[in-house]
Amino acid sequence: MSSAAPRHPFQSPPTAARRRERLIFGLFGGATYFVLLCGALVFGTIVYKGAGSVFQTRAPFINTSFLTAAPESLHVFEHDGRKMELGDQDFRAFQAQHPEVARAKSESYVYAAGGIFPCIVGTVLLVLGAMTIALTLGVAAAVYLSEYAREGAFIRFIRLAILNLAGVPSIVFGLFGFGMFVIFFGWNVSLLAGWFTLAFMVLPVVITASEESLKAVPQGFRQGSLALGATKWQTIRKNVLPYALPGILTSSILGIARVAGETAPIMFTAAYVVRDKLPWQVERFTDFFFQGVMALPYHIYVVSSKIPQNEYTERVQYGTAFIFLLLVAAIATASIVLRNRLRSRYKW
Amino acid sequence: MEPTPPAAHFLANRSRIRIFGLSLDDGIRVFFGGNAVVSVIVLTLITYFLFREGAGFFGQNRQNLLVYRQAGLEYVDFMRRQQDDHTALTRYLSDLRLRQFRHYTQGAGRTVAEANAALAGFDDFAGRFGDTVEPLRTLVSDLTEQATAIKTKFDVMEDTKEQRRQLLAAGRKGDADKVVITPVDFAAELQPIRGVLPVYQAASAEFARQMEQVLATAPALPTPELQARLERFKQLSRDYLAGFPAVVTQLESWDYQKPVPAMESLTAFIFGREWLTASFWQDWYGVIPLLVGSLMVSCVALLLAVPLGVGAAVYVNQIATPAEQKFIKPCIEFISAIPSVVLGFFGIAVLGQAMRALSQAAWLSWVPGFPYSERLNILTAGCLLALIAVPTIFTLAEDALNNVPLAFKEASYALGATRLQTVIKIIVPASLSGIISAVLLGLGRVVGETMVVLLCAGNRIAIPDFTAGLAVITQPVHTMTGIIAQEMGEVVQGSIHYRALFVVGIALFFLSLGINYVAQGIVRRYRISIG
Repeated sequence: MSSAAPRHPFQSPPTAARRRERLIFGLFGGATYFVLLCGALVFGTIVYKGAGSVFQTRAPFINTSFLTAAPESLHVFEHDGRKMELGDQDFRAFQAQHPEVARAKSESYVYAAGGIFPCIVGTVLLVLGAMTIALTLGVAAAVYLSEYAREGAFIRFIRLAILNLAGVPSIVFGLFGFGMFVIFFGWNVSLLAGWFTLAFMVLPVVITASEESLKAVPQGFRQGSLALGATKWQTIRKNVLPYALPGILTSSILGIARVAGETAPIMFTAAYVVRDKLPWQVERFTDFFFQGVMALPYHIYVVSSKIPQNEYTERVQYGTAFIFLLLVAAIATASIVLRNRLRSRYKW
Repeated sequence: MEPTPPAAHFLANRSRIRIFGLSLDDGIRVFFGGNAVVSVIVLTLITYFLFREGAGFFGQNRQNLLVYRQAGLEYVDFMRRQQDDHTALTRYLSDLRLRQFRHYTQGAGRTVAEANAALAGFDDFAGRFGDTVEPLRTLVSDLTEQATAIKTKFDVMEDTKEQRRQLLAAGRKGDADKVVITPVDFAAELQPIRGVLPVYQAASAEFARQMEQVLATAPALPTPELQARLERFKQLSRDYLAGFPAVVTQLESWDYQKPVPAMESLTAFIFGREWLTASFWQDWYGVIPLLVGSLMVSCVALLLAVPLGVGAAVYVNQIATPAEQKFIKPCIEFISAIPSVVLGFFGIAVLGQAMRALSQAAWLSWVPGFPYSERLNILTAGCLLALIAVPTIFTLAEDALNNVPLAFKEASYALGATRLQTVIKIIVPASLSGIISAVLLGLGRVVGETMVVLLCAGNRIAIPDFTAGLAVITQPVHTMTGIIAQEMGEVVQGSIHYRALFVVGIALFFLSLGINYVAQGIVRRYRISIG
C-alpha cells in the first residue's frame, strides 16, 4: 500500500507488497512442509532402524523368529574371547554344554531377545473384537440418527453426548473400563474388558462417519423404494446400507487406527506385560474371553520405559515399533482397497 | 414416537406380527433407537463409575488429615517447616557462593584454586550459618520418631478393626471377639510431644542467638551487585528470625481435637501443592503440581502447533495448487495415525537426546534454559504433543476455512485487494470462530494425551520453578494423565491412593468436557451466516 498514485488502473501492485505477499505465503508453505518433514523424520527413523531387526541380508530375508517367537531375556557374555548374545532358551542349552559359562560375567536384558508374536496376536484380537462391537453399535446408531430420527430436543441431546464422548481422554476410558468391567463385573484383566473399553472409545468416530455416509446416499433411492411399496426396513436394508457401506468402512479405518494405536485404555483392562501362553491355549472355550493378552502398543511402552537403552535392547524397541506402524498401515490399506472396490461397484 | 403411517394395505406392510404391541418395523426402529442412546448411556456410565470408585476419596482424605492432626504430625511440621526455611536460606548462600566463584574465575580471571582460596572466608561463614540449626534439628528428628510411632499405633488399630469387621462379615463371631482392639488415647500419647514446648523454646532461642551472631560476622563481598545480594540475604534472615514468635504462638494454640471440616478434604485436593505418596511421614494428595504440569506441556505444544497447524490449513486451503493439496492432505492424515506410544518412544530414543545435544551447542546458549541436562522435560513432551495436535487443528481449521462463502473472496478481489490482503483480512477473520474451536479441540486432545507425557515429560512430581523465567520449559514435570497411567497398576484397590487416582480422572474428565463445551459454544455463537 504505497502512497504513490498508480499511473494506470491495470498497473501491477507495487513490488514491496508483492514481495511481502510472497514472503508470507512462503512462511505458510514452510509451516506445512515442516510438519510433513517432522512426520517423515519420525517415520523414517523407525523404519530405518526397525527394518534392521525385521529384515536380514540372508534368505529368507525376513527375520522370522522375531515375528513368530515369544519375548525372552537376552544374555550377553564372553566365551572363548568372543562376545556371545543368546536368548534365554539357547543360553540355558549352551550353559548345559559349557558349565564354565555360569561363572563368566554375563549381563541380561529382559524382553530383548526372541520375538513379539504374542503381542501381534493380542493386538489383532483386540482390534477385531473391539471393531465388531463398535461397528455393530455405531452403524445401528447412525441408521437411527440418519433414517428414523426427527430433529428435536432428544436427538440434539444424543448428538451432544456423541460430541462429548469424542473428547473424553483415552486414559479416562481406561479408568472407566477398569472400574466397570474389571472390578464391578469381575471380568478381571481380560480380552472382553479391553474390547468393550476400546469399542466405547471409538464409538463416536464410527457413529459420526457412518451417519455422514448414510446421509450421502441420495434421497431418491429411499423415495423410489418407498414408492414401490417397500417398508422402511426393506428400504434401508436394500437401498441405503449397501450404498453407504464404502463410507462406513472409511469410518472403520479411522476407528481401527485409533483402536490399534491406543495404549492407555488397555493398560489396566486387557494388557499383560508378559504372558507365556498364547490366547488359544485355554482349557475351556469361555476362558478365551477372560484372559489378558500381550499387545504391541503396551509392549512398546514396556520396552521403551522399563529397560535401558543400548545397542542390545534397541533392536527389539525399534523392531516392535516398526512392526506396529506396519500393522496399523496394513489394516488401513486393506480397508482403503476394500472401500475402492465397493465404491467402483456403486455409482450415482 | 411418530404415528404409524396409514399404509396398511400395502403388500409389504401386511404383516400382523406384533411383539409387545409393536409391529416388526416398529421393533426395528426401537432397536436402532436403542443403539443411538448407547452414547448417552456410556457417558452416564463413565460418570457413574468414576464417582463410584473416586467418591470415597474425600472421606478417606479427611481421615488422613485428621490423623495428621491427632497424631501430632501437624505439630511437628510447624517446627519442621522452620527447619526447612533455614535450609532454603542456606541454599541462597550456596547460590551466592556460585556467583562469587564465577566472578573470580570468569570476571577476574583467577584459577579454580585461587578462587576457592579467596572464598575460604565466605565458606567459613556459610558453614557456621548452616550449623546454627543443629539444636532444632535434633529436636525435630526426635519428635518425628514419636509422632510416627503414634501414627503407627493408630494404623495398627485400624487394621485390627478391619480384621474384626471381616471376621464378623464371614460369620466367625468367636474369632472376631478374640481380636483385641487397643484404642489410641491421643491426649496421653501426645503428652510427651506437647511437653517439649519449653525445650523447643530454649532451642529456638539458642538458634536465634547463634544466627544473629553469625550474621554479624558476614564477610564483605567483592562487587556491589554481590554485596546487594548479601544484604538481601541478611534481610531474609532477619525476616526469618522475626517469624520465630509466630511459630511459638502456633505451637501454643495448636489443638489436636480441632475438627477437620469436610470441605477441607476437597480443598486439600484442589489447592494442594504436593502430591506425595507412600511416604514414611504423611501422604498428600494435591492436584496442583499435576495440573500445572499438564497445562505447561499443553501450552508448549499449542504454542508450536497453532502456527504450524493454522498456517498449514491456510496454505492448503488458499494458496497451494490442487496437486499439492492432493499430496499434503493424506500425508497429514497419516501423521495423525501414528500411534502416540510410538511418538513417545521416538521421544525417548531420539528426540530427547537430539534436543539436549542441540541445547548444549555454543551458538544456542542465548536461548533461555539452554543448555539443560534433563533429557526428558516439558519441551521434549511439548514438541511431540505438537505433532499430535497439528493434524487435529489442521483438519478442523481447514474445514472452517472451507466454509467461508466464495462471495466473500470474490467481493474482496473485486474491491482490489491483493491475495494476501484477502487471506489475512477476509478469509481468516471470517473463519476465526472455527479456527479457535479447532485450537480448543486440539488443546483437549493434548491435555488428554497419555503415552507421550508418560514417556517424555520426565515424571518429576513438583511444581516447576517459575522463578527461572522461560527456562521453566526445560524442567521435568508430571501430568494428570501420566500419574494415572503410572500409579494405577501399583496401588491397592480401595486404598486412598487408588481413589485419589480416580478423582484425578474425574478432574480430567470434566476438564475435557469443559474444553469441548467452550469449543462448541464458540462455533455455535459466532458461526457466520451465509447469504
